[in-house]
Amino acid sequence: MTAKSPEIMVDLIKVSKTYPPRVHALVDVSLTVHAGEMLFLTGMSGAGKTTLLRLLCRGETPDKGLVEVAGQDLDRLSGSGLQQLRRRIGMAYQDFKLLPRHTVAENIALAMEVAYRKRSFIRKRTRELLEKLRLADKYATPAGELSRGEQQRISIARALANMPDLVLADEPTGNLDRETTALVMDLFREHEERGATIIIATHDRELFSDGSHRVIELTAGQLRSPEEPGRTGEQSLHNEEASQ
Amino acid sequence: MNFLRAIVGQTLRNLRQTWSSQLVTLLTISLSVLIFSFFFLVYINVLNAGRQLGDNLRLIVYLDEEPSKPLQEEYRQKILKFDRVEKIEFVSSQQAYERFRKQLGHDQDVLEGMPRDFLPPSIEVYPIRSLSSLTRIKRFSDYLQTLPGVLKVQYGREWIDRFYSFVKLMRVVVILSGMLLILTTTFMVAHTIRLTLCSRERELELLRLLGASNHYIRAPFFLEGALQGLAGSVCGLVALYVFFDWIRLRFAGSAMLNLFPFTFFPVPVILAIVAASTLLCASGSFSSTRRILRL
Ligand SMILES: Nc1ncnc2c1ncn2[C@@H]1O[C@H](COP(=O)(O)OP(=O)(O)OP(=O)(O)O)[C@@H](O)[C@H]1O
Ligand SMILES: [Mg+2]
Repeated sequence: MTAKSPEIMVDLIKVSKTYPPRVHALVDVSLTVHAGEMLFLTGMSGAGKTTLLRLLCRGETPDKGLVEVAGQDLDRLSGSGLQQLRRRIGMAYQDFKLLPRHTVAENIALAMEVAYRKRSFIRKRTRELLEKLRLADKYATPAGELSRGEQQRISIARALANMPDLVLADEPTGNLDRETTALVMDLFREHEERGATIIIATHDRELFSDGSHRVIELTAGQLRSPEEPGRTGEQSLHNEEASQ
Repeated sequence: MNFLRAIVGQTLRNLRQTWSSQLVTLLTISLSVLIFSFFFLVYINVLNAGRQLGDNLRLIVYLDEEPSKPLQEEYRQKILKFDRVEKIEFVSSQQAYERFRKQLGHDQDVLEGMPRDFLPPSIEVYPIRSLSSLTRIKRFSDYLQTLPGVLKVQYGREWIDRFYSFVKLMRVVVILSGMLLILTTTFMVAHTIRLTLCSRERELELLRLLGASNHYIRAPFFLEGALQGLAGSVCGLVALYVFFDWIRLRFAGSAMLNLFPFTFFPVPVILAIVAASTLLCASGSFSSTRRILRL
């Protein structure tokens, strides 16, 4: 690992992404996320939240700018280097990306299988996650037969299954009620305590209304720090870092 | 270990999900193996039969007069100049008479009053029992004909010529069916793999996003191809054996089978056929994933 600065997990420098024909999804976005930080990414629909998250796991490549994750320049990463990095990233996609004909357990296990985890670990971890998300009874159900909210929780479970260093959650609570949202947020917090870096893209202001985490807002592909109350600056960030 | 488990699990899942096209492929491979190994079996048995015939095969060179010892030596040199041979035997007219008398057995009396040297002396040439020397037998005979003092050269000409043109034809058929086998198996395997790839496109995309290694993605396809080749060749060979056994029972005691023992492939050949088709299918599927996964 060629970590330039180990405490920086995500570093974006003047990143732009334009989709054909002329959709400027991201414009000159610069962002630094420190290891162990939980960060909320908000903004209107179409502001570029998903695009930003996809850049971080190289589901998309930027037109301009530098994207560094865990000290590695994604543009120069390929082959096994990229594969190994991706195993350290857990992404819960907005469209879930579940395999509808595979069972819930198989869907979750996939993230651990590609990392060659032990069978026993996979089984234990899958049960544990389903337990925490109150889906234990769906263990052997094909994912395609679940409700939207259930599918959403499965995609979150898969993102967290392999104990990733970086969690990218795209609208993780869009289909969930208040109570279930709390379950999911508890799970994220658990991973935050474990030391994982967590970036959550969301419209749901309630998720970050307690003001304990940094919030950034995308507006038409441009980053600007929202003048919201409860926004915590670099100060709290360094406190968190120190606590690790 | 974990890797292997994951791969095997993935392969089984693949097979389960596309079982109908897998079945078609399996059938095609079995059939190709059956066709190829059928011709190959016939070819091998024909060769065996040829070798057995070769045991009794000799060229008889009739001479106009009894060769003296130095002349015998000269003949020997000249014969050896053309080709190595198994054995050269000089038969004087006296010996020929004795032999003939013995062959006649009880009917010896027909020889009564015949001069003892009415049969010409001859040289019996036993060619080496290899296919290449046997196929040259006609040219050998032509050569012997040109030696001085030779009246006539005799061998089962018609029969041997026909036999060896048959062997040559069989060889072409075996090679063609072998090529057919290679073409159909690689094509069919590549085809089913492509189907699997298409039906699993989303899944493969997801695997890549999850950080699956190339081996993790490709090994199941390799294994799938290998299994296809293994199962297909075993099925084909079993079918051939059943057919072979049926023929043997059906024609048990018939003159043809008594003359030439009809045998199945020896174990090493069976293993070689199975190994070759397994390898063929595995590499076929492996290379088709390379193209499609753009690795
Ligand atoms: N694959 C694509 N091809 C073309 N345009 C795209 C593509 N993906 C996103 N866009 C466009 O880029 C812009 C940003 O999209 P993005 O999905 O990042 O928004 P978002 O903030 O995630 O929105 P939402 O909150 O609705 O999920 C949008 O205008 C969208 O239409
Ligand atoms: Mg989005």
